[in-house]
Amino acid sequence: MAYTLTRATDAIATEDSRYPLNEQRRVEDPVKQQIHRNVFTGKLEEVLHSAVNWGRKNSLWPYNFGLSCCYVEMTTAFTAPHDIARFGAEVIRASPRQADFMVIAGTCFLKMAPVIQQLYDQMLEPKWVISMGSCANSGGMYDIYSVVQGVDKFLPVDVYIPGCPPRPEAFLHGLQLLQDSIQEERRPLSWVVGDQGVYRAEMPSQREKHREQRIQATELRTPDSI
Amino acid sequence: MSVATPSPDTLKTGPDSTVEALRQRFEEKIVLEQATLTGWPVLWVARDTLTEVLAFLRDKSQAFEMLYDLSAIDERLRSHRRGLPVSDFTVFYHLLSVSRNRDIILKVALSEDDLALPSIVPLYPNANWYEREVWDMFGITFQGHPHLSRILMPPTWHGHPLRKDHHARATEFDPYTLTVEGQDREQQALKFDPEAWGMRRRHDDSEFMFLNLGPNHPSAHGAFRLVLQLDGEEIIDCVPDIGYHHRGAEKMAERQSWHSFIPYTDRIDYTGGVMNNLPYVLAVEKLAGITVTKRAETIRVMMAEMFRITSHLLFLGTYLQDLGAMTPVFFTFTDRQKGYEVIEAITGFRMHPAWYRIGGVAHDLPKGWEKLVKGFLDWMPKRLREYERAMMENAIVRERTRHIAAHDTTEALAWGITGPNLRATGLDFDLRKQRPYSGYENFDFEIPIGHNGDAFDRGQIRIEEMRQSLRIIQQCLDHMPAGDYKADHPLTTPPPRERMLQHIETLITHFLQVSWGPVLKPNESMQMIEATKGINSYYLTSDGNTMSYRTRIRTPSFPHLQHIPALMRGGFVPDLIAHLGSIDFVMADVDR
Repeated sequence: MAYTLTRATDAIATEDSRYPLNEQRRVEDPVKQQIHRNVFTGKLEEVLHSAVNWGRKNSLWPYNFGLSCCYVEMTTAFTAPHDIARFGAEVIRASPRQADFMVIAGTCFLKMAPVIQQLYDQMLEPKWVISMGSCANSGGMYDIYSVVQGVDKFLPVDVYIPGCPPRPEAFLHGLQLLQDSIQEERRPLSWVVGDQGVYRAEMPSQREKHREQRIQATELRTPDSI
Repeated sequence: MSVATPSPDTLKTGPDSTVEALRQRFEEKIVLEQATLTGWPVLWVARDTLTEVLAFLRDKSQAFEMLYDLSAIDERLRSHRRGLPVSDFTVFYHLLSVSRNRDIILKVALSEDDLALPSIVPLYPNANWYEREVWDMFGITFQGHPHLSRILMPPTWHGHPLRKDHHARATEFDPYTLTVEGQDREQQALKFDPEAWGMRRRHDDSEFMFLNLGPNHPSAHGAFRLVLQLDGEEIIDCVPDIGYHHRGAEKMAERQSWHSFIPYTDRIDYTGGVMNNLPYVLAVEKLAGITVTKRAETIRVMMAEMFRITSHLLFLGTYLQDLGAMTPVFFTFTDRQKGYEVIEAITGFRMHPAWYRIGGVAHDLPKGWEKLVKGFLDWMPKRLREYERAMMENAIVRERTRHIAAHDTTEALAWGITGPNLRATGLDFDLRKQRPYSGYENFDFEIPIGHNGDAFDRGQIRIEEMRQSLRIIQQCLDHMPAGDYKADHPLTTPPPRERMLQHIETLITHFLQVSWGPVLKPNESMQMIEATKGINSYYLTSDGNTMSYRTRIRTPSFPHLQHIPALMRGGFVPDLIAHLGSIDFVMADVDR
């Protein structure tokens, strides 16, 4: 599996450097590289990563952050009928410093963008971003002077959820995709152990994965009955 | 206090007495009475007499208590203006009289090189934000305004977006980038400067604390910022800062066809769903001269009331959560889910169905809809009883909300408060009764009113409103008329499919109407409805095109937020949170 490596750069960002600040490059799975050198510690590291990641992905604390309509559907996923607690992500935090991931649920407005960046910067590593809904993904139906055409213009996004707004089920699906991706991550096991880079797995595109199955659907149900 | 408003029968009989009184008093200063489809007299007034005319109208004899709306039109590219006074920019003032159940619209012509008007804040306090919005969007100055600054766009913005020569699309611009320096600059610009608002930093022996509540705060219900000037827990003053949710819906209307703008209306009050389509399609139908069928009207009423219930349920859950009760939101969202099962089966979508069409609705009710609606009607009443028992009779809720952020009817009218928040003060002004539309006159329901106009009444009244909505839906279920779900009219969009495949001519007509959209005659029309949060209206100006020339969207939450400082001065921070929860606003309904 291919990985993207991000290193916290020591150099102070200059005035004209653009968000997202970190540089990324594609690399191979670091654990697999180690196997070539030493079978025993390589395997141990893989098990350790796997255990830590399992813990991380099953207790994701979301940041209580909403912009517009999508936030209502996101909240719906938190309540009884959809019950996000099944996936260990029900502990909403009102402070970015206690949160693990941020869902950009709604339109990213020009006036709001610097505020979103500020809040993202206040979150502590490890942190992830889910872009929920068409507006956050690409601006959606709002190609208008006051809307940023996609939050990935300045934030690094891990999962994109399509829809306007996406159903709560789609949000839960997005969350599970984020969990899958976290399971494959290689982060420093400690600030003194090993490589300090963040290796994120390049997960397969859902569109390509499901295309075969989706194009099989040639007949849609009529809206004439319930 | 209970105030009765006149019945709808008194509406529009004979020549308008107000216009006659104005003509007598001001003679040639009333330049012209414009014929429109708005349903109200539209008078062009000379700029120098504007303040006098408004003062005369607000006076007891005319009793226009509320400045309902204030905005402008950039007339420079408008081609069909025959008979109208020369004007580059026109500012309009929409006044509403609750006691006489009448409206009047005043227009003032301005020339491009002299875009200035006297501010009317001394007459109507809620003109403050409306005038700031006109300055922000059109660059028209208001002399004597207490704080004329940008309200929707960021303080660093250049230009006035609703001018015809301002770009509309983000993609017409350089792609957005955020640099480290840009981030600092924008954040600095958002920094609150108390002196600019005439606030003192310290009082005799104590220093005030300035606290930012928002733009992201769990109790702010979205991207809304409120700067508090605090002396301990006491709020000395506060300044609401909006515009973090401005999606440019009014500009969007100028480039979407009449038909393809419908989905954008859903997203104005995003908890209101198809309720938002209603004023828009009704206003377009007035322009097009379409009368919809009884069945379409009843389907529309039924779905709008479904959304009133889901919206009020969301309100109830979040209102109580803001007061510290964790569980209600789980109950109310379970009910919302039940509501969405019905809505989804009928419209095919949850939050934004965009299901109303010009001349009817998207498709007929599906087979078996009665069973679903009946299931919902059976489910809800016992839940509402439970909410009242468990929540509204709860001692803590009562202590937190009784006599908190209370205001009377006069104050509410002066600030442009409408909907349940107005009715909580004891006034029974509900457009569904006072100015029935879409067949509401055929339904039997009551208008719940409050007594104290406090945070408690605003919550209680909405539970009662849900009951009345259930009554209306029950009547829709029992008496759903047979017939077509679409009007038989050439401008109905999309046109009936049966007429499409007869010969090439019908196919071409169909194709043009679907691709370019219908062309509406030049005129102006307007429709107000009693939406979930108050009075919502669309004021459409057609220039004989496939798109609107100007769409003014008046939303209820905008004045509701403007009222916060007047109400909260001297209150405490927890009271403010209770008040914010009780207003029932969404930011898209404020900033559009």
